[in-house]
Amino acid sequence: MKLSAITVAFAGLLFFPVASAPAQGINDAQIASIVVTANQVDIDAGKLAASRATSEEVKTFARLMVTDHTGVNKTATDLAAKLKVTPQDNPTSQSLKADGDKSVAHLKTLKGAAFDKAYIDREVVYHQQVIDALDKTLISGATNEELKALLVKVRPAFVAHLEHAKRLQASISTAR
Amino acid sequence: MTVRHQTFCAVVVGIVCAIGLAASERATPKTHTVTMENMRFQPEALTVARGDTIVWVNKDLVPHTATSEAGGFDSQMIPAGESWSYTVRTKGEFAYLCTYHPAMKAMLRVR
Repeated sequence: MKLSAITVAFAGLLFFPVASAPAQGINDAQIASIVVTANQVDIDAGKLAASRATSEEVKTFARLMVTDHTGVNKTATDLAAKLKVTPQDNPTSQSLKADGDKSVAHLKTLKGAAFDKAYIDREVVYHQQVIDALDKTLISGATNEELKALLVKVRPAFVAHLEHAKRLQASISTAR
Repeated sequence: MTVRHQTFCAVVVGIVCAIGLAASERATPKTHTVTMENMRFQPEALTVARGDTIVWVNKDLVPHTATSEAGGFDSQMIPAGESWSYTVRTKGEFAYLCTYHPAMKAMLRVR
């Protein structure tokens, strides 16, 4: 029951970030799993877009997502190993993974400008959701100081990616 | 000592002093540090002298570059936690950015 309460709270957080209250009772092992999964989901989408996107700018952005999120994940897994924390699968990481897989499957059905637009729209939403999760749940929920510091440190990269994706979103819609 | 000798000596002393000054200027180049942290260059504007060295230190979790927009210098990829140094030889203003994260911009002025 407790886990399903977290699922509902977190799903609410991701999709209705303003309206929902922060989820409670999330532990560091679960946070580590959420961080790793969130990065992996964007790496998967980025790899697909790096090969399938039409616009050179979108391809460059996709390659950047693969590079940056791989870098963040390496730091996160190194820290988890150092702290002897085994990332613990939880409803939020499972739903992130399921949504990510669904998103990649949908993107695979698209081509050309429609693919570019769907990918960039997805990136805008995804980065905003992760920033909201960091601000409302993950940073305040982390008990280990090093894990908390890592979450704080990673935030500006997500903000830069969001702004970059929004610029591309605007230029794509102008070009069409 | 004749006037000619005095002039000669003054010229020699002058040349020696000039060489000494130039050598002492060259002998004290400075090293400046620019950090790349929170997706920004810090400081965003830096003025240095020719011969100085700038060390860009990447304190972020993602790779960056320090790349002059009009040519001049390009660090290529500086991985997270690593640094790149460059000794400036040319006077001028160099607007530079991170090619991966083009919103990261800064200015290097070389006197």
